[in-house]
Amino acid sequence: MPNPVKPDRSVITTCAYCGVGCGFKAETHQGRIVRMIPWKEGKANHGHSCVKGRFAFDYYQHPDRVRSPMIRNSIDEPWREVTWDEAFRHTASEFRRIQSQYGQKSIGAVSSSRCTNEEIFLVQKLARAVFGNNNIDNCARICHSPTQFGMSATVGWGAASQHFDSILQADVIMVVGANPTEGHPVFGSLMKRRIREGARLIVIDPRRTETVDSPHCRASVHLPLRPGTNVAVLDSIAHVVVRERLYNEAFVRERCEWEEFEGWMALVGDDRYAPERIGPEAGIDPDAIRQAARLYAGGPNSAIYYGLGVTEHSQGSTGVMCLGNLALACGMLGREGVGVNPLRGQGNVQGGSCLGSWPHVFSGYRFVTDPEVRGSFEQEWGVGLDGEPGLRLPNMFDAALTGHFRGMFIMGEDPVQSDPNQQHVIAAFRNMECVVLQDLFLNETSRYAHVFLPGSSSLEKEGTFTSAERRVNRVRKVVEPLAGYQDWEIVVKLMNAMGYPAHYDHAGQILDEIARLSPAYRGMSFELLERIGSAQWPCDEEAPEGTEVLHRQRFPRANGRGTFMLTEFVPTRERTNDCYPLLLTTGRILSQYNVGTQTRRTANSMWHPEDRLEIHAEDAHARGLADGDWVNVTSRFGSTRLRVKLSKRVNPGVVYTTFHHAQSKANTLTSDLSDWATNCPEYKVTAVDVTRVTAEPDRRTAEPARKLDEVLA
Amino acid sequence: MTAAVAKGAMGDNVLDIDRLLVMANQIGDFFEPYPPARRAEGIRNHLRTYWDPRMREALLEHIDQGGEGLRDFVIDGACLLRETDAGRKGYYGPPQA
Repeated sequence: MPNPVKPDRSVITTCAYCGVGCGFKAETHQGRIVRMIPWKEGKANHGHSCVKGRFAFDYYQHPDRVRSPMIRNSIDEPWREVTWDEAFRHTASEFRRIQSQYGQKSIGAVSSSRCTNEEIFLVQKLARAVFGNNNIDNCARICHSPTQFGMSATVGWGAASQHFDSILQADVIMVVGANPTEGHPVFGSLMKRRIREGARLIVIDPRRTETVDSPHCRASVHLPLRPGTNVAVLDSIAHVVVRERLYNEAFVRERCEWEEFEGWMALVGDDRYAPERIGPEAGIDPDAIRQAARLYAGGPNSAIYYGLGVTEHSQGSTGVMCLGNLALACGMLGREGVGVNPLRGQGNVQGGSCLGSWPHVFSGYRFVTDPEVRGSFEQEWGVGLDGEPGLRLPNMFDAALTGHFRGMFIMGEDPVQSDPNQQHVIAAFRNMECVVLQDLFLNETSRYAHVFLPGSSSLEKEGTFTSAERRVNRVRKVVEPLAGYQDWEIVVKLMNAMGYPAHYDHAGQILDEIARLSPAYRGMSFELLERIGSAQWPCDEEAPEGTEVLHRQRFPRANGRGTFMLTEFVPTRERTNDCYPLLLTTGRILSQYNVGTQTRRTANSMWHPEDRLEIHAEDAHARGLADGDWVNVTSRFGSTRLRVKLSKRVNPGVVYTTFHHAQSKANTLTSDLSDWATNCPEYKVTAVDVTRVTAEPDRRTAEPARKLDEVLA
Repeated sequence: MTAAVAKGAMGDNVLDIDRLLVMANQIGDFFEPYPPARRAEGIRNHLRTYWDPRMREALLEHIDQGGEGLRDFVIDGACLLRETDAGRKGYYGPPQA
């Protein structure tokens, strides 16, 4: 074999890992991918890449990939391989049986941000037009749903205000609850470049992350707050902005609702949010809060980048509003170098939000309760649609336990591993009569599924992803789908089997339908993306090639003005006490990706073979723990075993783990608490205790049920 | 954690009422700093826009039975649901004055 293997074909496509959306040339030799070359023309990565996108592609041909549909009558039976036709017939008849027995609203669907815009759009159509209800949700529910809510409330659109390259104009960069050097590495490199050029960095994060201190990256101010005090600390920063009159009055008068601004000033300006009050409560130096406020307000260009450390709290939406308020007050919106920017975890979280996989809005964030909007969808789809919001994902599980929800279609998700309070989720699945899972692998949820539809990876399909910078990128088919169908084709066939006459010749026709039904995507088409490579929404008559920076003249609200929300701090009900004295928080590492379904099946596992519990030496010594010891981690909701790693990155009282491995069962620990507005789970704050154990855990019961030959009849 | 009903049976409410009370009070916590009229409308709009109608009905039934466990202003907001015509557009946050 020559080295390197000479590829015989090259296809330009988009990485499916994090929300940066890097362009790659996928090169094949005799129909197999031999390498991924970062694409120089990629607008997000400009020829750069990280260790996941560059190397972690082999999962697509892993022996664990399921190649044939399977069904079983009960979850205690082994799987039986069937033809596609039989799988669709069985699914359709089961869903219709359940609906006739328990009502039209007794089934629902969940789509994934690992799937394309076209697929996500079709899953909403499946629920709304074919199931006849609005029980449709997306995994963004459990990560960035507060972004949509909180940013819509203040600036009008739940999306990043900037393009990534905008950071090269920033003088002050504020990173809140995110760790871009690990989680969004290609963007992280861009940030480091700007820091090397002299930009100042503020980091608000309980952990001394790599973003706080690593080569080429050092925070001028780090606020290592106690998990759960985000809103208090952000309000305290706002307090300093108000009391020291650091706000941009001209901007607020010209662009915002002044009366709301006054109301907001009265709230955050109150003595109860003074750094001297909030600092001790949040475990940080009051002076550091003042410094952060002065730096941010001083700019001249200050940009906010934030992640799940803001959203995954019982006040997640309020936290996002705090960021919107702060940017509006300081005039940090509407030009390059500023803005409020969510860093999205998965390749298509932004698309998942845009394409109507929500129980209350159609694609384009327009309400199902609005008769005019609903009418336009009814006309296009040729059926009457439900005018009431449906159940959200966590509510579907709750309703399964009361017997009102019996069947679920899941595309590319693993709720048993990724959703909080695992025992609750498992009990809910056990109560369902037909769980249909469309995925690459038999994941943890497959233990509770009745139908398995083998899906296609992003290397095997046509479509688009919308990255965290609102950029719509093309996903192109590099190799043939292993099990025969692209994911969107599977959804269409299921719709047909249930009696709905959908038909598309290719994925581009789905994007055309999206464009007809979603104002911000009006100008999008495969043809446009072929011609110019990629485009950021809004893309319409006014901006035929898309829009890099939002809010330049007006905010997309009825009166065109930004507004301020009253963001009172309400402490979470999840508290430490004598039994659970430590706060557990979670995060990710560079070489692995989320629950690891893909990356654990590549050689990237060499870098991160297991999840460890980071604990401060002080807490470790008090428990007689040495580095590498096994411990029981126990919360009010469950327990699991992990090995400890003594670390100076966490403060005393805080422990931290990643959640890439199924055996770690991090979500047996997490609570049933969720964001007040969106039910986004409070993953980031769980009170736990840690005790030493002598033996390694018995993981026989935790091994993923994924070996095909063991589970087939 | 909600106790599961027997297989095949259906409980009275779509969601366990305790779960609904926690969610409703959390919504109330957010709107608490607003003046009473906007607070009530904010709570009403949120429930109207984001809650499955069966969840709203269960909450209103609980209020009819005395509303135990709910804060007074949450009850005030929820009761406004009854005065809303079904075609009203949903929107985020408190209404603009």
